[in-house]
Amino acid sequence: MAAQSWVDLLKSSRKTVLVHDGKRKVHYLFSDGKEMAEEYDMKTDELAVRKWRTKSKLGAQGPWEMEVGESFLSTEAVLEHQLIKENCSNPVFMRKDTKTCFQWRVRNLPYPKEVYSLSVDPEERSCIIRTTNKKYYKKFGIPDLDRCQLPLESSALTFTHANNTLIISYKKPKEILTLEEDLLKNLKKMKSVNDGDADCKTQ
Amino acid sequence: MAAQMAATKVPEVRDITRIERIGAHSHIRGLGLDDALEPRQVSQGMVGQLASRRAAGLILEMIKDGHIAGRAVLIAGQPGTGKTAIAMGIAQSLGTDTPFTALAGSEIFSLEMSKTEALSQAFRKAIGVRIKEETEIIEGEVVEIQIDRPATGTGAKVGKLTLKTTEMETIYDLGSKMIESLSKERVQAGDVITIDKATGKITKLGRSFTRARDYDAMGAQTQFVQCPEGELQKRKEVVHTVSLHEIDVINSRTQGFLALFSGDTGEIKSEVREQINAKVSEWREEGKAEIIPGVLFIDEVHMLDMECFSFLNRALESDLSPVLIMATNRGITRIRGTNYQSPHGIPIDMLDRLLIIATSPYTEKETRQILKIRCEEEDVELSEEAHTVLTRIGLETSLRYAIQLISTAGLVCRKRRGTEVQVEDIKRVYSLFLDESRSSQYMKEYQDSFLFNETQGAQMDTSQ
Repeated sequence: MAAQSWVDLLKSSRKTVLVHDGKRKVHYLFSDGKEMAEEYDMKTDELAVRKWRTKSKLGAQGPWEMEVGESFLSTEAVLEHQLIKENCSNPVFMRKDTKTCFQWRVRNLPYPKEVYSLSVDPEERSCIIRTTNKKYYKKFGIPDLDRCQLPLESSALTFTHANNTLIISYKKPKEILTLEEDLLKNLKKMKSVNDGDADCKTQ
Repeated sequence: MAAQMAATKVPEVRDITRIERIGAHSHIRGLGLDDALEPRQVSQGMVGQLASRRAAGLILEMIKDGHIAGRAVLIAGQPGTGKTAIAMGIAQSLGTDTPFTALAGSEIFSLEMSKTEALSQAFRKAIGVRIKEETEIIEGEVVEIQIDRPATGTGAKVGKLTLKTTEMETIYDLGSKMIESLSKERVQAGDVITIDKATGKITKLGRSFTRARDYDAMGAQTQFVQCPEGELQKRKEVVHTVSLHEIDVINSRTQGFLALFSGDTGEIKSEVREQINAKVSEWREEGKAEIIPGVLFIDEVHMLDMECFSFLNRALESDLSPVLIMATNRGITRIRGTNYQSPHGIPIDMLDRLLIIATSPYTEKETRQILKIRCEEEDVELSEEAHTVLTRIGLETSLRYAIQLISTAGLVCRKRRGTEVQVEDIKRVYSLFLDESRSSQYMKEYQDSFLFNETQGAQMDTSQ
């Protein structure tokens, strides 16, 4: 089963667990050199951050790419070596899950609710946000479903708009819920590296 | 009244990118050969040296083929006979995709790096790898571009760029480098552009169809394109050429990527190099990458010492080695680092591996032709008599000295408000600036009145 292969991949990876700042931080190093880092809230067990880092073909270390959560980088620092960056007044897209739903927030969207429309493109395995005033457009996939090769259902998708923020929710299917529960149980069993300064062995 | 007008005239804003400086070899645009590799007498800035140019043309074909690794060529000849010009001609005809690394023999002597390390880095800079990589690009139509200079006149410029597709619109903040390249490319509202996010490279795709009704004057090559669809940011596979040295640097440490920009690469471990070589040959077998052997040009090669030559001997045997072109103006001389004499200051075993191209001194007609080309390049008009006088000077002193006189005579002519350089202008600068032989003559005559003359005299006494 497809979901099984993802679980096996996770199991075969080298994991380091660290409890720090009221968060359980987990670092995975996969055999192909990819790295994944997750942060869980200790009280609610919600996933706060999941990010990926891959090596480019030539061997250079890429930047961390956020799958869940927000990246905190100051604009000036980024501009120095990025040459170009989106203005802070633009819509900001981020994912923040709850226990039962995958959830995305798009901040800085001041237009009324009627403007937005959501659809699912099952062939490209992505959800699409459109605006009738042609100001915002976003195509995004749900990597969790891709990894377990579960179908995308347009009926699971809902959205609300309040305080300049568009909130999109996708109800997690049963398979995902059980998978996440198992994973968390395993992680809790793992011994954490206690002191916060311990080096995360990656190489 | 007129003076007042001139005073109030707004100073002309000069665009920095448009000033092109004229270098010693900027008139060279290629080797000047026809399709059958026969040299034309005067072409692409090259004059005479027919045999050497034909030989260089054959070498060029070999480089373009890319099958033969580790060949070495020596261009030997008297000073001012066009050795560097031939190397530049080869570089120009290779095109942008083939790596061409030029260095002078003295450049490898550094305290921070061993000689062989500097040579290995130069070798690996001259080997390119064409590889597909996925990069993030921004593709959209420019809605608005706004660049603010700070009110105080100093400090970094800030800018904003608004881009749109058929579905969305986004405002971007621009870094100072990006502002520079945007103004260099003359990007304006209505252009459809792509920006490579990692390198900041801008490509103009054309003008948007929605702007087609504007009655602007446009060049014939202006293309109209559709406004892009979907998201502004896309991932695209692009093919680009990186040198082996760049891959070495990226892999040599964790933040190696940044070292490329700071230039602080230090020495690279041989294990890293071996690893990269293995990886590159693996890519080549899988068809993911293609190796482009380039050219390493070492000018003043007699400056290299014995150790460098023995290193070169070995390095040329590797199948990942570029074509090596060397140039020297020495005859039989001491090999640096030994007491042995050898032709061109190069050991015999090294010479045995070389294809040697000789350049010969220019004839009167050729000197005349070269001076004419340089006059065009430096934008100086020469009268017929002045040209003849300058050619004589070129033959009797040196070609370089005659070339130096062109721009100085041009200035003298302009100061007396003439349009064409006359014989008097040439005479004037000839009397103002000494050439090498007149300078030596002067030294011999007035040696006694120069500083430190006594001590030297004393030394000479003891030696006798």
